[in-house]
Amino acid sequence: MSRLLRTSRLFRPAARPGALAALAAAGALTLAACGTGSGSGGSGGAPDTLTEIDYYDAAPQNTQLPQILDECGVRNGVKIKHQQVPRAQFMPKLLQQASARSLPDLALIDNPDLQQVAATGGLVSLSKAGLSTEGLYPSIAQAGQYQGQTYGIAPGVNGLALYYNTDFFTRAGLEPPTTWAELAADAKKLTQGPRYGVAFSAVGTEEGTFQFEPFFWTARGNLKELDSPQAVKALTLWKDLVGSGSASKSVVTWTQADVNDQFMAGNAAMMVNGPWQLPTLNADKKLHFGVVPIPVPSPDAKPVTPLGGEVWTVGHSKPAREAKAVAVVKCLLSQDESAKWSKDAGYIPSNQRAAAQLASADPQLAAFVQEVGTAKARTTELGTAYPKVSQALADAIQAVLAGGTSPGSALSQAQSAAKN
Amino acid sequence: MSITVQGRQAATTAAPAPPGGRSRGPARVRWAAVAFVAPAWLYVAGFYLYPLASSIRMGFQDYTVSSFYTGVAPYVGWDNYSKVLHDGHFGETVLNTVLFTAGSLAFQFAIGLALAVFFSRRFPLGGPLRSLLLVPWLLPLVVSGTAWRWILDTDSGVLNHVLLNVHLIAHPVPWLASTHDSLTAVTLVNIWVGIPFNMVILYGGLQSIPGELYEAASLDGAGGWQRFRHITLPLLRPVTAVVLTLGLIYTVKVFDVIMILTQGGPAGSSQTLTTFAYNLSFQQLEFGRGAAVGNLLIGVAVVFAVVYLRATREQRQAGR
Amino acid sequence: MSATTHRRAAGRAAGTGRATGGAYTAVALLILAVMLFPLYWMLNASLLPSTELVRHAPTWFPVHGTLQGYRRALSTQGSHLLISLGVSAGTVVLVLLIAVPAAYGLAQLRAPGGRLLTFAFLVAQMIPGVVMANSFYTAANRLGLLDSPLALVLADSTLCVPFAVLILQASMRGVPAELSEAALLDGASKLRTLLSVILPVSRNAVVTASLFSFLFAWADFLFAVTLTTRDDRAPVTVGIYRFIGAHLSDWNSVMATGIIASLPAAVLLVVAQRYVAAGVTSGAVKD
Repeated sequence: MSRLLRTSRLFRPAARPGALAALAAAGALTLAACGTGSGSGGSGGAPDTLTEIDYYDAAPQNTQLPQILDECGVRNGVKIKHQQVPRAQFMPKLLQQASARSLPDLALIDNPDLQQVAATGGLVSLSKAGLSTEGLYPSIAQAGQYQGQTYGIAPGVNGLALYYNTDFFTRAGLEPPTTWAELAADAKKLTQGPRYGVAFSAVGTEEGTFQFEPFFWTARGNLKELDSPQAVKALTLWKDLVGSGSASKSVVTWTQADVNDQFMAGNAAMMVNGPWQLPTLNADKKLHFGVVPIPVPSPDAKPVTPLGGEVWTVGHSKPAREAKAVAVVKCLLSQDESAKWSKDAGYIPSNQRAAAQLASADPQLAAFVQEVGTAKARTTELGTAYPKVSQALADAIQAVLAGGTSPGSALSQAQSAAKN
Repeated sequence: MSITVQGRQAATTAAPAPPGGRSRGPARVRWAAVAFVAPAWLYVAGFYLYPLASSIRMGFQDYTVSSFYTGVAPYVGWDNYSKVLHDGHFGETVLNTVLFTAGSLAFQFAIGLALAVFFSRRFPLGGPLRSLLLVPWLLPLVVSGTAWRWILDTDSGVLNHVLLNVHLIAHPVPWLASTHDSLTAVTLVNIWVGIPFNMVILYGGLQSIPGELYEAASLDGAGGWQRFRHITLPLLRPVTAVVLTLGLIYTVKVFDVIMILTQGGPAGSSQTLTTFAYNLSFQQLEFGRGAAVGNLLIGVAVVFAVVYLRATREQRQAGR
Repeated sequence: MSATTHRRAAGRAAGTGRATGGAYTAVALLILAVMLFPLYWMLNASLLPSTELVRHAPTWFPVHGTLQGYRRALSTQGSHLLISLGVSAGTVVLVLLIAVPAAYGLAQLRAPGGRLLTFAFLVAQMIPGVVMANSFYTAANRLGLLDSPLALVLADSTLCVPFAVLILQASMRGVPAELSEAALLDGASKLRTLLSVILPVSRNAVVTASLFSFLFAWADFLFAVTLTTRDDRAPVTVGIYRFIGAHLSDWNSVMATGIIASLPAAVLLVVAQRYVAAGVTSGAVKD
């Protein structure tokens, strides 16, 4: 980045860093800042450095990603300047960069946010640039599209499944649950002393909504109609788990990482969580666990889980840079790199064939791979309206679990809030 | 301020003498004054004016994600404000903000003043111990906030553990996990965060009250409470006004404490206007409405700035 | 606060006996214990294996402690600490350069428009941090100041200048006019009057303003994360945040980093405190 900035300074007569007066005047300057379209600098020739931004602040992803980026950089003869910001700062930062017309060449964006960012017009259409989504799970391909164009492609995806502690289950003589009734019964039996039967995250953000969606969609709920009987049924399941003491009241404060801590400490016999926890869980040799698909309301139903994961995007700059960035993305999405990334970071390859191979090789991932086939992208039903509905749903979940509101009235409030 | 105190005050040079009567020189003197203040004016213009203007403008716009890139955002008049005011959570959020601010300010100030008075006495290790009270400020809130989350946890938290053992409570209190307790919990932590700030500034204020005043008052037969009431409080007024006004603005603005502990939840029960504005902007991507809430807060600051200026003007006049 | 406490406090100049002094120290230690309990809890956590942390019966003492967290923290956060120290110190200097003359002009010279300036500073405090960060990013980007400590100093100063102006103004208003008038009659320029008469008398407020400018800048996270893109240019708040992410299930490293990160500044505080004490005594001598 520093190199880039230094070069780009040459093209900006206003840049005279150091003087206090300069920044004092900056307020006035910024008024005129928009519309110059200076891009991320560089001249017309092929660039030697590309910029990249992502929000992987947790191990092992934050150590694996730079390695893969370096590899793909070397292969394309370009240095990739990696930048990682906290999740909460990611969208603000991306928007700042968009308004300064200095979007990074490569950005790894959470798939429900893709449509929003694509709507700005700041992203390069990957389908026009010749990248194909053939062989990928259709839901994944769809998650990267906006108005018929592909703007983002996922190297790997994730979902949610039910982790269970095999020691506790064997001792209680139980099999992992497949239906909601079994889940509730097992959770109750396994709740003992300081240990809860099950843990999940009902925190008041998108994270809580994401954890609830497997139950919501498996019950055939629809995000356009938050107060449907199916939605009430799903929320009642969660309410009863907490109400009966099978799940801690603290679920409303736990993020998915907290849920994982609880499970690892033996405070919960089961948890809802994603494959990205596998590397951490496997590192603890004393912990014995298995993974099964999310339980369903009736034995004949299939779990529908939300599709998680980030998509690679390319920001607009100059044709030569864009071409280079697209080449790097192509490398990042290649079967080799995608399989490596999935393995190291706890993701499922987006490529159907690669995923099937991985599932047969790694039984821990089988449950996740099985679910990806029926998984649903969060923006499918609502497009750019998703964030608002997600927030309303998270509020409803919390009102029920922590405030004693009935699922019916909480969800009808959510529905009217979402429409506002 | 009693007349006796004023009389005594004039006798000691280091005492805060009544201002006024100085620098009534010709216009040339005023120009020197302008020169001293000019950098501050430039600073205000350079650093605050543009953000302020853009926030106010954004409040009147339908500002979406694409507006950031294209710069295009249609003006919608007071639409954002009316939507925010009719938001189901707005009333609760305002009430939370008032309770959070009032609770934090009252306890921070009272405890801070008590500690300041306590530490203004000389005793072995007094100085180092006093400065150690500031250490919580050196820790990034991400870290100390996480420690508080453990302490306040329903099941494994040490606070509940202690309260249960001394039989103050019969069941664990879900500090962060219930809509009834979460506001209390975040207020508690915020009081903890704010005490050092109040203590240090009030301590500084106490230091500039000359000891002779107290001695003289003692000779006049004034008791401890009377001296506190008639010497400490009045002479501390300028500092008190600063501490309370800034404390109020800082408290209304508190963001990290709430985001780390509860993220405004559960179900908005610890949401204040500041976290609400953030939530609107960055969770729901309704930037116009987020800016509108931010501007309401700026309005609050305007009101309290006026109150502050009034209070300090009365002080000046009272001093004459 | 009880009246007795205060009576004793009022007698501070008179000096007190050893026995009561000891009792006061004991009470002070107790206060400190309560106020710093969360820190003890972090220290405890920093020495405990992670799974102990969410145990239902709290582990009060880290008897089976591990120093692993500290080893890891030390090796990663050193450079971030240096950056934070530099940025915080720079902020203090900038803030004083602007706030001291302004407060003098407002409080002693009664500059025109003073109330309007105070008003502007108070209102400026309420501009949402994200809005400030957005415009600083744009400005720094255009000026090529991203990743520069200067940008951080400038941005962090916006958190402190209003506070410093108000607190210095409140203090300087209390400085008797006779003092500065005497100096002016002696032929000293206004600047010299400020430096050699006003500043020493309001030393307390200057130290308080510097202290909090330092702390505000030290604790800033939003501007730091907005204005730095390179890990090696990030101050300690951002460094720790990254570290937390990288060791999410390894809380003892995180808490250890927190403790280590606060140590250098804690030392600085104790030193500064001695300076304040010295300032108070020298002020007393002037009487």
